[in-house]
Amino acid sequence: MKDKLKNFIFSELIYHEDPASFGDDDDLLEAGLDSMGIMRLIMFAEKEFGVTLPDTEIEPDNVNSLNALHRWITRAGRRQ
Amino acid sequence: MTAATSLLFNPADYFTYVLDQEIRKAGMPGGYCGFALQLAGKPDLDKLQQRLDLLVTKFPKASARIERQGKRQVWIPTGQRIELERHQAKDDDDTGRLLVEIFNRHESRPLTFHWIAGPTGGTLLLNWNHPLLDARGAKIMLDFLTAEQPERFEDSASLIETKLAQWSLWKKLKLLFKAKRHNDEANRSDSCLPTSVEQGPQKLELKTRNFDAEQSKRIAGLALQHTGLAGRTLYYLGCFMRAMERVGPPHARTGYCIPYAFNLRRQNAPTPVFGNHVGCLFARAPRELVHDRKALFVHLLKQHTQVVRDELDLAYLPLMRLGQWLTPSRYARFLRKQHSGNELSSLWFSDIGDLSWGAKGFLGIPVTGLTMMCWMTLPPGLALLVGQLDGKLSLSYSYLSPAIDDVWLDAVIAAMDDELLENSPR
Repeated sequence: MKDKLKNFIFSELIYHEDPASFGDDDDLLEAGLDSMGIMRLIMFAEKEFGVTLPDTEIEPDNVNSLNALHRWITRAGRRQ
Repeated sequence: MTAATSLLFNPADYFTYVLDQEIRKAGMPGGYCGFALQLAGKPDLDKLQQRLDLLVTKFPKASARIERQGKRQVWIPTGQRIELERHQAKDDDDTGRLLVEIFNRHESRPLTFHWIAGPTGGTLLLNWNHPLLDARGAKIMLDFLTAEQPERFEDSASLIETKLAQWSLWKKLKLLFKAKRHNDEANRSDSCLPTSVEQGPQKLELKTRNFDAEQSKRIAGLALQHTGLAGRTLYYLGCFMRAMERVGPPHARTGYCIPYAFNLRRQNAPTPVFGNHVGCLFARAPRELVHDRKALFVHLLKQHTQVVRDELDLAYLPLMRLGQWLTPSRYARFLRKQHSGNELSSLWFSDIGDLSWGAKGFLGIPVTGLTMMCWMTLPPGLALLVGQLDGKLSLSYSYLSPAIDDVWLDAVIAAMDDELLENSPR
C-alpha cells in the first residue's frame, strides 16, 4: 500500500529528486503536499483501496506522512 | 520561418488566449500578469541580463509571437533578445506609480522584465502574457534566472495532453458530459458583480494588503478550522464573498461564482517551465448562505470535495481540448455567459501559494515583498491574487478604474481583513 501511495504522490503531486530516499515518516506537508494535492490523494486512496475516508478526518495527523496515511486507510478499512 | 519551428498551443494556453482576446477587444492590453519582487538591494543586473539571454536560447518560446495556423494558434519563436528595461523611482510611491504605468502599456511581446531602482533597493517586475505560462511557471522561471544549475530546467509535453492520453475515449466522453452538466448548473444562478460602470476606457489600478507573520499564522489557523486541511483557498474565497456581501455588490443578483484553478504541475518541480497546465473549478454560493459564515464554509468545502470526488476537476480537461476548435468569440461566450446573458465570474482569483527565496534571496539579494497583478475581462473588472512570501500573507487586488468604484473597493478590502481575521460580528 505504501509503495502505491508513494508512487502516486511523487508521480502526480510532488517533485522530489530522489523519491526512494523519502522515508515513510518524512513530512509530506513540508515536502509540498498542498490542499488540492491532499484531495487528489484521498480520491486516489479511496479508489485504489476501496475505503471511504471521511472529510471530517482530513487532518495533519492523518496525512502528514506515508505511515500516517497507511494507518488512516487501514483504520477506515477495518470500520467498513 | 518554417512550420516546423512553430509550437502549438495546449488546451489551457488557448483557454487563456481566448480571455486575452476578450480583454484586448475591450481596448485593454490583454491577458498580462505580473510578479513584482521588492528587493533589499540592487542585484547584479548584467548577470540577470545574461540569464535572460540564456532563457531565450534554452526556451525559444520566451520571445515568440502568436500566429494562427489553420484553426489553431501557435507560437513562432522570433529569437529576439529580452532586454532588461531599467527605470528610476524617486521613492516608494513613485515605484508604485511606475509599476502601474508599465503594466498599463499596450504590449505585443509575451514577456518583459523591468528593474525599477528605488532609493534603497528596488523592484523587479516580470510581466507576462498568460497564454505563455501560468503563475506557477512564472515562479519556476524566476528560479531559473537565479539557479546555480540552470540546465536542470527543461520544458516537457503539456501535462493536460499527457493526462488526456492516459484515458480511453469513453472516459474522456464521460468526463466531457460531466463537465458540460456542471457548467450548465453553474450558469443557472445569476452572479453578483462588483462593477458600477462597464463602458468606456479603463485603467488598471492596484491595491495590496500585506499581513505580518503573526496575522498570517492566525489566518492560516482559522482557515484550517473552517475549511480544513484540504481547503485553504476556499477560506479566502468565502471571506471575499462575505466581504462583498457586507459592503453590498453594485450589481446584486442571486449569488456568487468565483472560478479558481487547480494546477497539474507537481509541487517544486523545475519542469515544465512554459505553458499553462491548469484545470478550472468554481466556488458558488447563493447570497442567503453567504450571510451565515459557518454555513458558507461548510457549503464551500462540501462543494469542493464533491467536485473532486466526481472528478469534475479533471472533467474540464477534455472540454478544454474540444474548446480549441472554437473561435475565440464563441469559446468566450461559453466561458463567460450565464443563461441570463450575464457574466459568470464575480471575481477573477488565483492562489499562488507559498513563495520563498530563503537566505539566498534573488541573485543574492533578500526578497522583502511581493505584489501580484493581472488584467481581467470587464465585467468583473476585479481580480484578487493571493500569495505567501516567507509565511507572510499578501493580497493583491487588481481592478479597472472607473469600472470599480475606489471607495467601494476600500470598504470591501477592510471587510475582507475583518473576515480573514474573524474580527466581524457574527
